[in-house]
Parts: sequence; C-alpha cells; structure tokens
Amino acid sequence: MNLRNILAATAIATMAAPVVAQRNENPPAAPTSPAGSGGLTTGRGRGPQAPQGPAPKLPDGRPDFSGVWQVAGPVGDLAQGMPKGTAIPLNDAGKALMTSRESKDDPEANCLPTGVPRVAPYPMRMLQTPTHIFMLFEGNIHSYRQIFLDGRKHPDDPDPTWYGHSIGHYEGQTLVVDTIGFNDKFWFDFRGHPHSEKLHTVERYTRSNLGTLVVETTIDDPTYYTKPFTVTFNGRLRPTEELMEYICQENEQDSRHIKGPAGTP
Amino acid sequence: MRVMSAVSAFTAAAVLALAVPVLAHHSFAAEYDANKPVTLKGTVSRIEWTNPHARFYVDVKEPDGTASTWNLELASPNVLVRNGWTRKSLNIGDEITVQGSMAKDGSKMANARMVTLANGKRVFAGSAGGPEGDPGAPAQPATGRQ
Repeated sequence: MNLRNILAATAIATMAAPVVAQRNENPPAAPTSPAGSGGLTTGRGRGPQAPQGPAPKLPDGRPDFSGVWQVAGPVGDLAQGMPKGTAIPLNDAGKALMTSRESKDDPEANCLPTGVPRVAPYPMRMLQTPTHIFMLFEGNIHSYRQIFLDGRKHPDDPDPTWYGHSIGHYEGQTLVVDTIGFNDKFWFDFRGHPHSEKLHTVERYTRSNLGTLVVETTIDDPTYYTKPFTVTFNGRLRPTEELMEYICQENEQDSRHIKGPAGTP
Repeated sequence: MRVMSAVSAFTAAAVLALAVPVLAHHSFAAEYDANKPVTLKGTVSRIEWTNPHARFYVDVKEPDGTASTWNLELASPNVLVRNGWTRKSLNIGDEITVQGSMAKDGSKMANARMVTLANGKRVFAGSAGGPEGDPGAPAQPATGRQ
C-alpha cells in the first residue's frame, strides 16, 4: 500500500465520522440545577453535556424523572442493550420473520411510532404528576405515552395499540411500568426484531444520578422469543434542551429509496 | 462539473469501518452506500427545511454535458438547529461543493456529508454526517450534537 492510499483512506475515514445517536456520549460537565426541578432550565441548549450530581427527589421522597432525556432505548439494534456475551433469545419463528423483513417496511422509516422500548434518536420529555407520567416524544412522531399511576389495573382485553396500556408504581427510587395491549406493527429496531400482540414489557426507570436515566426493559413475547430477556439503555439529561416540532410525515422521501433486507443497524 | 472519485478497496474498507449511521429515522445503510462517495459541484436550486430531513437540491452538469438536479439529504432541521445552523445557512443560488454518499437505488440522491461554499466556508458540518470538530465549522455552537 502506498502513501497516497493511506492518506486517502485517512481523509475519507475522517470525513465519514458522522452524526449518530451515540453522540450524546459527552463528557459530563455543568450546568447544574436545583434538585426537584428535574435539572431543567429554560432555553434551547447548545451544550448537551449530561450534568452531574445526585438524582433529585420530589418533596414526598419519590424520584423526580422530569426533564428532557435523550435516547433512553434502542435505535438501531436492540441487542446493544443485552448483557455482554449474551444474545437475544429469538425462536425459529422470530428468526424467520426477522429474516423476511425489508428495511423499507420499517414503520419508523415510514413515520410511524417506535413502540416500546425502541426510541427515536430525538429527545423525550418526561412529565410527572401524582397520577400520571407522560412521555412526550419529539420523534418519532411527535407522539406520547401515558402511564397510569393511580392504581388501576390493565383492562381485560385492551385494543392493541402502538404504545399499549401502561400502569406504573414506585419501588423505592425506581419507577416500574407494566405494559400490555401492544399491536404487532412496530419493530424493536432497524434490524427488524419482531414481537406479537402477546408482548408484555416491564420497564424499570431509575435515575442513577442527576444526568442519567437507566431504563431496564424486560421483554416477554413467547410468540417470537424462547424466554423473557432484559435490555438496558441509558438516557442522558439535556438540561437546556426543549422539545422541537418534528412532523415526520411532512416530507418523508426515504422509504421509497430504501433497499434490501433489514438487519443493518 | 461532477466528479466521481474512485476509491481503493482499502479506502472503502476504512469508510465502512468508521461510517456509522446518520442520525435519522431510518437505517443509513439501507438507503445510502458508504462505498459510493460522490462529489457534486453546482448551484443550489431549492431548499426544503422540513422533517424528517432537511433537503437541498443542486443543479449540476454531468460529465456527459447534460444538466441534472441532485437531491441531497441532511439531518433533520432540529438536529441542524441544535448544532447552530439555521435555515439561512445555505441559500438558493449558492455555488457549492457537496461530498456525500450516494443512494443505493441509483437515483440522483445522496446523503450530504460536507457542504462547502464557494468562499471555502463549510456549512452543516458536524450535523449531517460531517466530521466532529471540523475546522471549517463556525466558531459558534456546533457542539450541541445528538
């Protein structure tokens, strides 16, 4: 290999270093904010650094999850949330369905919601009240989840929906969210990891410090997986960020140009 | 004039190894081929400051002399704004050079990685697949990355 090739390779490789969801892996730094405010300040932030400090609590001692968070779930590949050295326990039907999927059919590429636990690579605001938690998503597609904290049970036979029926309760400093009633339309990631209407998720949200939201999601769907499994993703607080409008349907041109099987994150 | 650069297998491998998906609602690799870099030089004829992606269109002269219009994809306006760019960072009539990755389906479409104005200033660097810490980026923001 000659010098010219090496130089060319270096130049191209440098240029190819792109913008990714993982770009939120920034070194922690200020700003700080008073506990209980959810770490929020007003104004649109330029600095995405996750602030450091203890996790804030509400006056009643419960954890305070309010704030704008970035990427607290899988975007490209659900397997990134698995413990090291373990694989997602797909069964044969799950493998077959995943293999048959084409990227152009990814609902998210077609401006449909992410479902659970997938997230879009855009911020989400958690809004917390004594009776509800709302997750307001910038993308995909400017939609929201509602989690009931008032002690109600799941309906016996809920109509299948993109985000399902979610009930939550606190266990110490952790919010536990139990969800059923999903439709089978969304994918878990760009790779096309599947699920059926039998999907049952249990999410455990813990604010490990001021700037970090740890989300452990146990996925149980006997239709496509041999056993329940748990994925863990971290969200980062964006203390100076505000949600922006994101109407994905406005000018979606990608899906008709997307080629080939799903499977690439 | 449009110039398509050929890359050696080695450089292609380097690109593959380091090219990670652009922040998007779709898989980068499902739509664009990191092994097919393209450099376009021409005039901006249209700008769409829309979701899910901002786009601009460039009128170029193909190697065979014919004129054509290329569709260039950027990140979403939200990402661009968070990186300090605005809808006026690029304007209709600007003479630019764009480096990007071509669409897999062969259409005159590419993901814009680097946009350079005639005066040498780079726009949208560090936001639509541009390099982090790009020296051509403006002194302001460009740190609010996703």
